[in-house]
Amino acid sequence: MSAKAAIVEARGVSRVYPMPAGPVEALREVSLTVEPGDYVAISGPSGCGKSTLLHLLGCVDTPTSGSLLFEGRSVLTMREEERSRIRLHRIGFVFQRFYLLPMLTAWENVELVQSEAGMPAAERRARTLELLEYVGLAERAGHLPSQLSGGEMQRVAIARALANRPGLVLADEPTGELDDETGEQIGDLFDRVNADGTTLVIVTHNPALAARASRRLAMRSGRLAASPAMARP
Amino acid sequence: MSPLQFAGRSLYRQPARAILGLTGVAVVGALLFDMLMLSRGLIVSFRDLLESTGFDVRVTATEALPGLGPAVADAAAATDELRGLPELAAVVPVRFGGAAVETRDKKTRQVAIIGSETRRRGEWRLVEGADLGDGTDGGRPDMVVNRTLAREEALAPGSIVRLASTLPGREFRVTGVVEFPFEATGESMAGVTLRGFTLAFPTARRDEADLLLVASQPGVGTDAAVAAIRHARPDLHAFSIDEVLERLRHAEFSYFRQVSFVLATIASFFALLLVTTLLTVSVNQRLGEVAALRALGFSRRRITLDLLAESALLVGGGGIAAIPLGLLLARGLDSILRQMPDLPSRLHFFVFEPRALALHLGFLVLAALIAAAYPVILAARLPIAATLRRESIS
Repeated sequence: MSAKAAIVEARGVSRVYPMPAGPVEALREVSLTVEPGDYVAISGPSGCGKSTLLHLLGCVDTPTSGSLLFEGRSVLTMREEERSRIRLHRIGFVFQRFYLLPMLTAWENVELVQSEAGMPAAERRARTLELLEYVGLAERAGHLPSQLSGGEMQRVAIARALANRPGLVLADEPTGELDDETGEQIGDLFDRVNADGTTLVIVTHNPALAARASRRLAMRSGRLAASPAMARP
Repeated sequence: MSPLQFAGRSLYRQPARAILGLTGVAVVGALLFDMLMLSRGLIVSFRDLLESTGFDVRVTATEALPGLGPAVADAAAATDELRGLPELAAVVPVRFGGAAVETRDKKTRQVAIIGSETRRRGEWRLVEGADLGDGTDGGRPDMVVNRTLAREEALAPGSIVRLASTLPGREFRVTGVVEFPFEATGESMAGVTLRGFTLAFPTARRDEADLLLVASQPGVGTDAAVAAIRHARPDLHAFSIDEVLERLRHAEFSYFRQVSFVLATIASFFALLLVTTLLTVSVNQRLGEVAALRALGFSRRRITLDLLAESALLVGGGGIAAIPLGLLLARGLDSILRQMPDLPSRLHFFVFEPRALALHLGFLVLAALIAAAYPVILAARLPIAATLRRESIS
């Protein structure tokens, strides 16, 4: 048991998807503890269960068996509305395809989640400006996603993930749609986010990005093949 | 950002879809609005016509509607008896007939003739000249003619009209040009006194009336007048305007009511289908976006409100545009339908009523809610993890 209170703790979690051809076991008794300040990278071949694990850690999905605690509370006993509230206030998501709302500007995309969380307008404005400056896009605040490059869109998405000051940011293949150089810039940004105190769990195929993490986990066939607490090389 | 603002941006982002939706709802909504106006238009218009005469009760010999059944026998006695009732302010016997009038080129023209004892209420409206008098001019009884007859035969006050249907040809002196409430477009009509009527139709039974027009005493009310007539003369049949209209609603006008009901149902169905399809396609195109929003913590309620707002904007915007469009369409359709023969020219098929507008708006609110139901269920029940996984693979 860690001395620090875990943000999320999975113990022997499995996730089985019922399929017409028979149930598919996407996760098999995976145990993982993510503590405040962690920078975790999960790698593995396609279909090995990385995204499924990320979705469980992010309270988007619930395990078929095992226990899953988020900040000490069992996710399994939470109602959907409660998990939704936790995702809004305590977890940030970064997606491979960014999923910025195309009809909203960069500013509005970052502000929207704060608005949904009920943050007062003045505070929202200050926080949005702070975050766009943080990701280096203050001058592109009024641009629509279609007017931004892939790297810029992902930086806006990272700003959006940080908007409600979450304890945990989860990123699913955040450099999957980017070239190597832009991927490096996103990696640098993640390093800074983690250095500033935000816990990160990144699922990635990108070895360079995984190498930045303080803990690197490998997955294979729904199991964590190795879960050493690795120091960042 | 409120759901309405969010929905507005969403529509703005896809202008083609928004324009298609708004136009479709406007066109279908216009048809719906028209059908709502048609469903009661004839009744409302007919009520206006009946009320414009100033008589609120019609008395006939049988259950048949006024003018369609046998005449009231002993009309003078019946009129006198009814005039004695304190609930009634006026009783006017009326006769209907058709006569041939000699035209300027010595041919004949069919003219509908109304014989009435008095003109102090609204059997007709004087347009030019003077109303019927009691006297005669050199043996020529007075006659009022409608504008069609006056125009076609170049008649004016002082002109002589000669009937070709009597032998010898009876002559009438035109005292004025009038407008009859129930005259059809292009129909030639004339009004004469009851005495003049017997001269125009010498073979007709003298003491008969096709109809007794009755006005109730102010403050007594139509129902009390009808009850008094039924009590005094159970052999006669008294109809209030409401009763006449009720019978028309279930008989002569039921065709239009049924047509409007069927077309309104079809219009509503197409409005629903259109908006449901547009919203469903839109949600299906944005499944990844919706799943991402849900993963970011947006509640089902918020997603539902966003879609409802989008539906409301499409249906509301289109529905508001449907009102002027519907009014314009109604004018065109009304003018076509009014060309049907033998219809009173003042009768309208499409009549605007606040009730039709309220129903139209009610239908639109319902349509917006129902149309959004399926896409809302689709979006709210979206499996977030599975959708994100599927979207990232595709």
